[in-house]
Amino acid sequence: MTENTVTIFIDDEPYQVSNTDNLLAGVLSQKLNLPYFCWHPSMGSVGACRQCAVTQFQDENDQHGRLVMACTTPVTDGMRISIKNESASEFREQIISAMMTNHPHDCPVCAEGGECHLQDMTVMTGHSAREYQGTKRTFSNQYLGELVGHEMNRCITCYRCTRFYNDYAGGKDFGVYGSKNQVYFGRQTDGALESEFSGNLVEVCPTGVFTNKVFSAHYTRKWDLQSAPSICSHCSVGCNLSIGERYGSVRRVMNRYNSEINGYFLCDRGRFGIGYVNSEQRIKQVKGIEQQSPLQLSALDVSKAFSHFRKKNFLGIGSARASLESNFYLKNIVGKDNFSAGYHNDEMQVAVQHSKILKQCKPESLTDIETSDLVFIVGEDITQTAPRMALSVRQALRNAAIDKASTMGIPSWQDSAVRTIGGTKLSPLFSLHSTSTKLDDVAEQALLSPVARISLCVQSLTNLLTSLKNSQLSHIEVEQKLAEYYQHQNHQRQLNTAEQNFVASLYQGICRAKKTTIITGTSLVNAELLADLAELVQCFQERDDINTPNLIVVPANCNSVGVLSLLDKHSLSVEQMLDKLPEKNNQQQDVYQGVIILEQELARCSHNQIQQLRASAKTLIVLDHTKQRLSEIADIVLPSTPVSEGDGHYINYQGRVQKFHQVHPPVLPVQESWRWLDMVADTLGIKVDSEVADNVDLSTPRNLNKQIKHVNKQETCQSLTQLHHFFADNYALWPQLIAAKAQQESKPVARMSHRASGRTSQMANIMVHEAKTTQKFDDSFSFSMEGASIKQTSDMPFTWAPGWNSNQSIGRYQEHINGPLQQQQKASFITFSTSLAENENWQESKDIAVNSSAKQNENCLNYVQQKNIYLSEQQAAMTPEFQLLKQSNCIFINANTALKAGVKNQQWCKLVFSATGENMQLVSQSVISQISILPNLPETLAFGNFSLCQSLSQEIEMKITLANDQEVTDYLSSYNDDILTAKASKESLLTRLKENDQTIPIRLVSGGLTDA
Amino acid sequence: MNDAFVSSSICPLTQWADVRQPLDFDGYCQHGGYQGAKSALLEHSPNEVLELVKNSGLKGRGGAGFPTGMKWSFVPMFDANDGNAPENKYLVANADEMEPGTFKDRLLLEGIPHQLVEAMIIAAFTIGANKAYIFLRGEYHLAAKRLQQAINEAYQHNWLGDKIQGSTFSLELYVHSSAGRYICGEETALINALEGKRANPRAKPPFPQVAGLFGKPTIVNNVETLSNLPHILKNGVDWFQAIAPESDAGSKIYGACGRVKIPGLWELPMGATLREVLFDHAGGMQDGLTFRGLLPGGASTDFLVAEHLDTPMDYDSIAKVGSRLGTGGLIVLDNKNCPVAMVLNLMRFFAQESCGWCTPCRDGTPWAVEILTRIENGHGKVEDLDSLNKLCDFMWIGKTHCALAPGAVEPLRSALKYFHDDFLEHIEHGCCHYNPTSVAKRTHVATAALKSQSRAMQGGQ
Repeated sequence: MTENTVTIFIDDEPYQVSNTDNLLAGVLSQKLNLPYFCWHPSMGSVGACRQCAVTQFQDENDQHGRLVMACTTPVTDGMRISIKNESASEFREQIISAMMTNHPHDCPVCAEGGECHLQDMTVMTGHSAREYQGTKRTFSNQYLGELVGHEMNRCITCYRCTRFYNDYAGGKDFGVYGSKNQVYFGRQTDGALESEFSGNLVEVCPTGVFTNKVFSAHYTRKWDLQSAPSICSHCSVGCNLSIGERYGSVRRVMNRYNSEINGYFLCDRGRFGIGYVNSEQRIKQVKGIEQQSPLQLSALDVSKAFSHFRKKNFLGIGSARASLESNFYLKNIVGKDNFSAGYHNDEMQVAVQHSKILKQCKPESLTDIETSDLVFIVGEDITQTAPRMALSVRQALRNAAIDKASTMGIPSWQDSAVRTIGGTKLSPLFSLHSTSTKLDDVAEQALLSPVARISLCVQSLTNLLTSLKNSQLSHIEVEQKLAEYYQHQNHQRQLNTAEQNFVASLYQGICRAKKTTIITGTSLVNAELLADLAELVQCFQERDDINTPNLIVVPANCNSVGVLSLLDKHSLSVEQMLDKLPEKNNQQQDVYQGVIILEQELARCSHNQIQQLRASAKTLIVLDHTKQRLSEIADIVLPSTPVSEGDGHYINYQGRVQKFHQVHPPVLPVQESWRWLDMVADTLGIKVDSEVADNVDLSTPRNLNKQIKHVNKQETCQSLTQLHHFFADNYALWPQLIAAKAQQESKPVARMSHRASGRTSQMANIMVHEAKTTQKFDDSFSFSMEGASIKQTSDMPFTWAPGWNSNQSIGRYQEHINGPLQQQQKASFITFSTSLAENENWQESKDIAVNSSAKQNENCLNYVQQKNIYLSEQQAAMTPEFQLLKQSNCIFINANTALKAGVKNQQWCKLVFSATGENMQLVSQSVISQISILPNLPETLAFGNFSLCQSLSQEIEMKITLANDQEVTDYLSSYNDDILTAKASKESLLTRLKENDQTIPIRLVSGGLTDA
Repeated sequence: MNDAFVSSSICPLTQWADVRQPLDFDGYCQHGGYQGAKSALLEHSPNEVLELVKNSGLKGRGGAGFPTGMKWSFVPMFDANDGNAPENKYLVANADEMEPGTFKDRLLLEGIPHQLVEAMIIAAFTIGANKAYIFLRGEYHLAAKRLQQAINEAYQHNWLGDKIQGSTFSLELYVHSSAGRYICGEETALINALEGKRANPRAKPPFPQVAGLFGKPTIVNNVETLSNLPHILKNGVDWFQAIAPESDAGSKIYGACGRVKIPGLWELPMGATLREVLFDHAGGMQDGLTFRGLLPGGASTDFLVAEHLDTPMDYDSIAKVGSRLGTGGLIVLDNKNCPVAMVLNLMRFFAQESCGWCTPCRDGTPWAVEILTRIENGHGKVEDLDSLNKLCDFMWIGKTHCALAPGAVEPLRSALKYFHDDFLEHIEHGCCHYNPTSVAKRTHVATAALKSQSRAMQGGQ
């Protein structure tokens, strides 16, 4: 109970309710039933639907009372209300019957059926007979792209969709049209929704207007899904998901509430990017292992195949998209001297700075970002690389309006009132990046700068902080100071007017801000920037008059931070690893048997490097779930699982350890990478650094006699828990990574809802035998509808409560509305050492960086590729629906450059990029692209949506000529071919999945190969 | 118009109004124009003007009858160097006259545009607004032209623009022609429309006086309300109250439409009785017709019938007999027009004009239309009357987001009370007797025949 708790009387019973919230939230927090539509826990109240009416009484003697809308009524001490009162309950029923005058009776064919908030609320109010005799209003639906379906006739006009899409997520291509009972929610014309958060419409809509198109195409009722709590594998935010499966194929992803991360919303990459797990490209068989039985691969086959690698040395390449367990295991099989994360030299430098920052300060959660009153985003387009974080930043910008409203006594949940008062007032956002981003529209200042100059701006801010002790200076004074510092610098090191203005405004903003958040990322692969930002934050700590900002680094992948925690001073870069491998035809004794590649495609490696790898590795072993260029050339391929088919941990950008659970067991021989590694570990030998094992305290210097101890495992690990025990027993480092959680002895929680159509009859259309349910060792979830209720755990496989079939049922499991889940366990975070930084190879030298940027030729261009929510992450990019969203080439250039080349906006051009490559060779690449002219773009910067080869990034030259018709036709036809291919693959995938549904294999075996 | 009432003392607003050729700046000044504004700007402080208006007892003429001075007093005032002061405050004249049966503002807008300009200078000065808008009904083309002309003249003579008449007060005045929705008459919907947003009424609080147009303090006043200001300033509070000593202060422009002999507008002292307006000024019913009822203040007010004709037309008296003064524009129903058809017509209008924000209004008004249509076409059932009563309750005050739906309910619920027999006959005979093309289908019902007789007797009186 907090100081805000007051007593209110609901139907004469006293309840303890927080007075900072509205009455509806208060009533729902008490787990009482009160229907609602337009109110949303995260979007607040507007009072449109009038569904949550209750009767409020003046005092105990007031028998009559008056009707109030609970969502717009604040909770006050001692207030008396009635939910059961006849006038209120009759009014609520009337509201439903009024909505039903236009809602069609198409529930049997509606994708929302069985989890429809409108259905739930209708039943809750008791409305069961139709009185209206007129015709129903009809609408035409729109094509909203490949992800979201539209069925406007079902609309009950609650305005939630536009409030989410436009007000909450800042979308521009959606709106409200018409009036009276002909209100239309959609786009001006047909076309794909442009927002990164369009998928949330599916969950925000209380009925079936907006549906998940991918789910609808291969549909099943919610109660027939088998679900498990999972973590998004597409970016480093680590949103919590609930993945649903039926008949061996993943059907959909729903948001899984986590009060500290994603809350109620996901981005479209997280929601729809799961398509890759059903892909045609999945690896389903082993390659390079001889099978005794043609039907089944046995454990014996595997050990036979690996027997001649006994105690041989391997190099191992881990991956930021593989689980922490798999990476850790691989590192200890190959030994720490032979382990690489698949990072190149420059990425290793970034990793060093990143780990230093993580040791220095803990990045805040998304919920904490939303409390900031100034956000500075530098060198990362989080709207595309960590979209859910961008959504939180958008909410933070509302704080100025919320503060202003609170001075007028308007609480933050009065959504429309706060927006009225706030007008266009936003908390300041400063954006400094090489590409324009989708947050620029709400930024106080958004500066486009080449990569090197971004660092320069950060450095000058640091300079201002260290030298200016006065935080009250006017804007002009700050600019003058800046000019003074830089007047003696050479031309290249001077700030231009725009930069000066930006830095000065930012300095002033930060001086005024109560809570600043700085967000950066690794996508520019610029270690200097991270070092500069670390120094900047350091400077803040020395200033007493300014609050120290929180620095957030957004890495590329779901487990980037996990891999970072495994890197130490011995870890190799890809270049070093290639050097370690013997040259082709080298007669020297083979030091290395080969390379083990864990869920890694080495995307940044050039074709030559891959060929070198193939040639010099005697044996190339690849573990992955999907075919890629390395699996094609490997000697041995072991099929591993994507996130939906295995157990493991990912570590998000904060260092938060999160477990993803198997949704459904894979069909053997597919199994988790750590199970494969566990099978071959004994053969290859597991290495333990005795120095570390004996002494937990890493800081004490020990004698440098390194001893590598080989350990033997007693038996194969049957479960993740057993694996953790094994790790914890042998590796001092492991408990630091994952705090051992107390083993719960409770009954496993059911992965299916109580309503699952009967385990015994599930496959009655195929055979009458009852399939044995899969049972997994140490599993906290059961593969059936039998098991403990979901309320026993904070990792809820799905959400459902009696009377609440939709995802709105989450309110029944929160401590209070918007609070943590009732069973929420304290999140665990890993700790960081900076052992990686001890390796001198990765110590970037400031001087070199300075010189290199000083040397930059003025004619040289900096090309930066825009990130894309759908296609920038390798796994999600395999989803056919995403491939259909690919845009044709487009490059943004400065107006002068365009003028010189004589090209105009939107014209098709031929661009030839060239640079002097690594070995002084001239590298060049030509691209056909449409031109977009940005007047405020620096002349030395261009950005576009296509990629250039690795050696063409920093100092390049670009020649622009108008493309001739033939070139454009050729390009467009190849672009269209890609789209057609994606369309065909989408269709063939769907056909295969539907065929599979009719021939489901009955699985009797759990994960792991056996010798049976 | 009765000559006895055309005297400057009781017709201040319309005395010089001429819709054929309104007074230009010089003409307006010759008739005492801009004296009120001059007095306000040069002889009074904003606070003094506010006190004057408060003491005058001026009430809003748009329909709600809220005391104007009190409304203004909610606007936060700031010192010149107060850091918390907003960059701007706004004054808006609500000239979106869309209430069916109401056309009083049109007379003022087309007949004497300078009066509104002068009034807005006084109001803006009082609340400290430097920007003002006239939110004009889109169809009022002529008014737009004349207002713009008056504004141009006022700018030329430094009655608008920077440092008006050498005072420290500056004002910019704009005419905004509405894209057209009845709901824009609701002040917060009007503000949304003015901001270029959907014309949905806003949640209150915050009230516009505190956070209105673009989030800044804003006053929205009806044209007729504002037009009183120059005269109050010029002639004083006592004069204003003396116009109607027995009632709410000042004059009121009353109107009448329907099958009366002389439909029109008359500026009378506040509190003239319905009978005076209907019979003395509008000349009574047309020959061969008898009076059945009237809506006293536009379409969104309750019917009043013969027994109420001696009620004075001021806010409290009309409220006492169960209706509202509204805009003071009578819509008169005679014995040859079908009350059900009239209510249906009004309900269609309200269903059409619902903004679509809250459920009771958006889905309730079309539902009422659906039932009324059936009754009017002879397909009604007796249960439908229950449904209509329930719908009236469903859309009543406190249950909806704004006053549109309760306003829509008012003619319906009073029609169900005063013209209940007509509804029953429609249902029982399966036809509308007022409609010559409609043929009775179920005339065998005995009770219905009786009722029909009694009605015929009433009609013959």
